[in-house]
Amino acid sequence: MRVPALIALAAFLSVAPAQQNPPAELHTLHVQGSVYMIVGAGGNVTVQTGDDGILLVDSGLPGNTDKLIAEVRKISKGPIRYLINTHVHPDHVGGNEKIFLAGSTVTGGNVTGDIQDAGVGATIIAHEAVLNRMSSATGNQAMPAKAWPADTYFTREKKLFFNGEAVLLSHIPAAHTDGDTMVYFRRSDVISAGDLYVTTSYPIIDLQRGGNIQGILEALNRMIDISVPADKQEGGTYIIPGHGRVADQADLVEYRDMTTIIRDRIADGVKKGLSLDQVKAAQPTLDYDGVYNKPGGFWTADQFIEAVYKSLSAKK
Amino acid sequence: MIHKFCIAAILMASFAMAQPPAGPPPRPSAKDAAPEDITGYWVSVVTEDWRWRMLTPAKGDITSIPLNPVGRKTAEAWDPAKDEASGEQCKAYGAPGLMRLPTRLHITWQDDNTLKVESDEGTQTRLFHFAIQERLGGSGTQPSRQGLSFAEWDVSHPTFMGFAPPPPPAGGKLPGSLKVTTNRLLPGYLRKNGIPYGAGATLTEYFTRTNEANGDSWLLLTSIVEDPQYLASDFLTSDHFKREADGSKWNPAPCQAR
Amino acid sequence: MTSFKRAIILGPLFALWACAPVFAQKDIAGEWDNRFDEDFLERIPGPDIGDYLGIPLNDAARRHADSWDASLLTLPEHQCKPHPSDYGIRGPAQMRVWKEMDTVAQTLIAYHTHIFWQAPERVIWMDGRAHPPDYVPHTWQGFSTGKWEGDVLTITTDHLKTGWIRRNGIPRSENAVITEHWVRHGKYLTVATIVNDPIYLTEPFIRTTDFVANPDQQIPAYPCESVVEIDRPQGTVPHHLPGTNPFLAEFAMRYNVPVEATRGGAETMYPEYRIKMKNFPKTTKAAQ
Repeated sequence: MRVPALIALAAFLSVAPAQQNPPAELHTLHVQGSVYMIVGAGGNVTVQTGDDGILLVDSGLPGNTDKLIAEVRKISKGPIRYLINTHVHPDHVGGNEKIFLAGSTVTGGNVTGDIQDAGVGATIIAHEAVLNRMSSATGNQAMPAKAWPADTYFTREKKLFFNGEAVLLSHIPAAHTDGDTMVYFRRSDVISAGDLYVTTSYPIIDLQRGGNIQGILEALNRMIDISVPADKQEGGTYIIPGHGRVADQADLVEYRDMTTIIRDRIADGVKKGLSLDQVKAAQPTLDYDGVYNKPGGFWTADQFIEAVYKSLSAKK
Repeated sequence: MIHKFCIAAILMASFAMAQPPAGPPPRPSAKDAAPEDITGYWVSVVTEDWRWRMLTPAKGDITSIPLNPVGRKTAEAWDPAKDEASGEQCKAYGAPGLMRLPTRLHITWQDDNTLKVESDEGTQTRLFHFAIQERLGGSGTQPSRQGLSFAEWDVSHPTFMGFAPPPPPAGGKLPGSLKVTTNRLLPGYLRKNGIPYGAGATLTEYFTRTNEANGDSWLLLTSIVEDPQYLASDFLTSDHFKREADGSKWNPAPCQAR
Repeated sequence: MTSFKRAIILGPLFALWACAPVFAQKDIAGEWDNRFDEDFLERIPGPDIGDYLGIPLNDAARRHADSWDASLLTLPEHQCKPHPSDYGIRGPAQMRVWKEMDTVAQTLIAYHTHIFWQAPERVIWMDGRAHPPDYVPHTWQGFSTGKWEGDVLTITTDHLKTGWIRRNGIPRSENAVITEHWVRHGKYLTVATIVNDPIYLTEPFIRTTDFVANPDQQIPAYPCESVVEIDRPQGTVPHHLPGTNPFLAEFAMRYNVPVEATRGGAETMYPEYRIKMKNFPKTTKAAQ
């Protein structure tokens, strides 16, 4: 039982397979308002742009950062002021250092003159759990210091106002990991979900880094609460997932429904005292495997079932 | 810039207009004029009205059919035993009902102006006559289970300022479907549970063939039954048949009254 | 008019018309009223729970449908969903079709459709444009391109949201590609819809739907507002756990259809299935 978990852990910690491939082809989509999505850099990257500069959400895989910056420059030549990390995984923070060096921070007051390099580099923001993991505070392999989020928060929310709109950061404890942030661009009406929501697989739950199925569902339901469709359950608030295509509330609801139904099936098995193998044998994901299970892929149905089972079985 | 073809067309049209009127060209046979090939083996794919077609519905179940009060009363009087006793097992296999049954069709040219449509269900044969002689002789034809069917190719006729289109190039054909009008029917059933149609019913059918990217070919059949005796309005249905490579699944079965 | 004069005046006009792009005479634009002379019960009141007859569904689709609970539709986020384009014409679907033309070239850019129930509007691009990439949003009506094949309008649609084959939980995935053939015969319009869904179907699934021209029809608006109908804990999703749906056999019992047949599958679509049905055990009515 420990071997599969170790394999999963190695997969999370190691450089993702895509990183060893040649840099990917990137594509940009204008989502809505001031917000764009860049696909192909690893995890999806969100770009908010305007007179104040550029705000990025996540930075993709390390090998793709030069291409990512070039793609950002096609959208705007403004300074990169902020980089928000939705969580600590390499395909979302791999470009942190280069992005930091490519950006600049607005400083003033007591800082000016006292700290000469205060304006150097973009401001990297994340939940403090991300900094803890990146900086080897818990014994994990450290990332270079310039990649660390220097601006962290430990509460449920953090607020910015940038490029003419409120940017709301919400922390969901114990979901995909223990350091997840989702970002809501209020005027553009776009949510950048990180890996709290993906369209390409079952919800990814990193148990080793504090993930839990109940947190995933809390995040999905909170996004449903925030989002408002324009008409007949379509459009309105758009959601940029950590991986996959742009979605709206109806897509999110479909995904939430699937996750809830599978959670309920596994919970029923746990309640009946079934073993993990017995739960798997009942095929709780049968009706969704064709869409979300990628045998041999990064995150399979079996891994998902196991993560949910362990989430629900863990002693509180 | 006017395409070379258009220059030629202008010259040819002008020349043609300047000629004295010529006699009508020889009419091609229906087979030669066919805009689509609907011959072959076709299987009914039952994805709609399943329990009214794959099973015999209960007496009085008239769901979806626009019967008038006389039609409803007649349907409620259905007696399959009586049909069997009088040798009328095939009342549901007349043209208006036959094509809705789960059946295979074998469509061939009986001659250059007559299409033959055979069904394995009920072992019925329908003839679609294109030739004018059969059409003119229609009123003298005795009513039958399959009636008398007049066929024509229902082709597109775009007009401009009231003028008919030029003939297509040699070997070319205008697009179209097969239109079949059937009357001279014996009274029968639209469904196996005795939903009636009368001797005055007219059946109009349109057959259109499609060819799909995966190699499938469908025969789409739109049917309109008009029957002032039993129907309050026209009865409009559409069925679909998938082409089969051969007749290996052909399974003749006699008519059944139940 | 002499032949010469006729040639000079009419010949060029005639030839210019012959050089114009060919339009199918049997255009589909207009006001169309749909008919329910087939599948009335399924299309209007709604299908029965457990009726999978005549659908080539696989085990995944069967599980999805067995788990489906109609109470799902009482959730506010489900209340105002329109039918996707592959199902929309099956329901109360008085339809308007109109053309978008390039004013200068008089070429057809797109057909637009508007359907009564939930008022979805759809664009069928006729200008040869490519379908968009995978990462753009999916919509209820999908992305459609069309071309005339003779006098049949053939339409290809993808980028659909997850939808349904039948309104009793039989799903249609967002990976499906829909092919339609629209054929007009005088005042009648027949639409053949073929669903190719590798996730939930074992082979293509075809249905045909009929309309009658009705130039005088007035299609009313269809506003929709979501409300909380049932007070539930947040995040509740009504469904049946596998093996617990108590309603699945009711359809078979009520209509005396073999239970095995109600489970659907490709074989139920073909005539030879009736031979197999003869060997099924008789459906027994539940004890009173």
